Amino acid sequence: MLVVNNVSKNYGDFTALKNINLEFGSGVYGLLAPNGAGKTTLIKMLVTLISPSKGEILYNGTDITSLDEEYREVLGFLPQQFGYYKHYSPKSYLMYLAALKGIEKKVAQEKITELLDKVALSDVANKKMRKFSGGMIQRVGIAQALLNDPKIVILDEPTAGLDPKERARFRQLLTELSRDRLIIISTHIVSDIESIANEMVMIKNQELLYKDSVENICNTLDGAVYETTITNDELASFRANHVLLSEKQEQSKMLVRFVHKGESKEDWTVKNPHLEDVFLYEYRDDLSLGV
Amino acid sequence: MRIVLQELKKILNWKIGLLLVLANAILYFLLISYHIEHFPNGRPALDSYRIGIEMVEKYGVSMSEGEKADFKETYEQRLKDADEYIQSRVDFSSVGIHSYQDFQDINYENQEQAELRNKVVFEENVDLFWELQERERLIEFQNENDIIMANEMERGSSQQVATLEEIKATGNYYIYPELVFYNYKDFIVNVAIAIIVSVVLLLSPVFIRDRSLRLVDLQYTTRVGRNIFKRKMIAGLLAMFMVITALLAIYFSIYSLNNTGMFFSSPINSFIGGFHWYDITFFQYIVLTVLAIYFLGFVFALLAMIFSNLMPNFVALVGIQIPFIIAMIGPGISYLIYQITALDLSQWLVPSGYVLIIVIGSMFMLFVWRRERTLDIVH
Repeated sequence: MLVVNNVSKNYGDFTALKNINLEFGSGVYGLLAPNGAGKTTLIKMLVTLISPSKGEILYNGTDITSLDEEYREVLGFLPQQFGYYKHYSPKSYLMYLAALKGIEKKVAQEKITELLDKVALSDVANKKMRKFSGGMIQRVGIAQALLNDPKIVILDEPTAGLDPKERARFRQLLTELSRDRLIIISTHIVSDIESIANEMVMIKNQELLYKDSVENICNTLDGAVYETTITNDELASFRANHVLLSEKQEQSKMLVRFVHKGESKEDWTVKNPHLEDVFLYEYRDDLSLGV
Repeated sequence: MRIVLQELKKILNWKIGLLLVLANAILYFLLISYHIEHFPNGRPALDSYRIGIEMVEKYGVSMSEGEKADFKETYEQRLKDADEYIQSRVDFSSVGIHSYQDFQDINYENQEQAELRNKVVFEENVDLFWELQERERLIEFQNENDIIMANEMERGSSQQVATLEEIKATGNYYIYPELVFYNYKDFIVNVAIAIIVSVVLLLSPVFIRDRSLRLVDLQYTTRVGRNIFKRKMIAGLLAMFMVITALLAIYFSIYSLNNTGMFFSSPINSFIGGFHWYDITFFQYIVLTVLAIYFLGFVFALLAMIFSNLMPNFVALVGIQIPFIIAMIGPGISYLIYQITALDLSQWLVPSGYVLIIVIGSMFMLFVWRRERTLDIVH
């Protein structure tokens, strides 16, 4: 469906992305990386806001730039930060975007009613967005991305500002949508996509690190994730010698989860690695984790 | 079309409406109201206006030699009326003034005579004395228009002389009072300033607002994509056309209070004060200046939208437009509106000026559109 072919992006001497090769079919893909790793650059190239300095992005075999509106017609995009007119209601705002998406007025009206219901904003469909919370605005954003019934949905940090209940509803919505569609979700919150993504794409140092299933990515740390209990006094030296993934106070001691490649000690318990473990391990420098 | 209408709705919002009302109210009181409220401005302007109407009603829009003689005869008659008036008042005879001629030859060092003159002219505002003064001025121009023409031809280029020959052949130049014509010129120049400022205020937010609200990411990834630039431009030009038309309708309704319609059929060359390249009537001149305002509005609309697209913030946007507006209000308007038909300027200067600013504006817009088509939307 969508192929990223040897794509690089440079701004003068600065390299934002280096030789990225990816292939997306139907399903949900998670794009996982810490802020500044090049996620948004890749997303912006996938939605034609930025052109690659090198390489090409193909949709069904044709370059998306030459496909022009034919490509954007099947695209639904939710940017990390998006604008809206405060004096517009969700309905009038979505009508405006429906016009830009080339959706007929009548069709748009029906679709808007349906989508506002899906994102639980029917009650405030005609209220001005001035007083909306961040979560409500984000839900309007999700609705606009789905207005044109897109074949490709690209969502940049879609759960920002959503409360846990809204996040759950959002995940459910994505699962419903994922049939016959390509959904790419960029996030740095692992739990948002861990359970729904068919595959994860991870970028590190402007290059592709992994594009694989959650299971396979987790397997890269198989047998290397441990938990043990240490005293508070030992914590500093433990941090200095191991890649700590989490620390938890337990009675007067500290339960630590960490990565260790090599021989283990007796009081260490080996654990099944989670995606979050791989994330924290791979990006330990960017996230300033103690090693 | 739906997108254009949506963009048009965004441009013509109530806040902009309020801003335009406020800006135009200020500019009206600062620049325009004077030319309405003080028309005709005192004496002998009032007399000039009255005599002008009388001339148009009695002789039409041009005067034959017989009609010029009749105009002089009317003056002689009014002169006799003045003599009679002076002789009917004891205060005149008591200071040694027995005729209008004596009144004109008054000795200003003679305090009694000077005081009486001031009293009659400025306190009592006797129409007759003001009227005669204006009639004398008009007759003087009628008598000397050949000399004026000869002088003008002497310093003119061959092209100017050829046009002057045509004007001379009509015999209809430097005859009618210029008050109405110059009042209109002053009025329309200031209306043009108000309209240019309005267009700039109206269209400056077109691109920068959506960009500062971070709407571009959404707009450029929809089906219409970057072509929304063109839709916004079209909506901006439509809004410009609507606002200019509305403002012109308002300002011309106000101008109608000056009651100058009787001069609409008068050729502009028949007015005292200058020669023009084109043999057009006052009404055609009004139409020409209105068209000129639409052209200027078009250029300033393009510039406002181009700068709105290029400038990083509202402060920079205002900053960059100020020199253009000042340049236009200063020399620009003087050439492009006030002297739009003036024979003093080379015939091609004003049309070339319009072509030049329209071409520069359009090329600039094309450049911005080409840039926008491939621009990386980073922020």
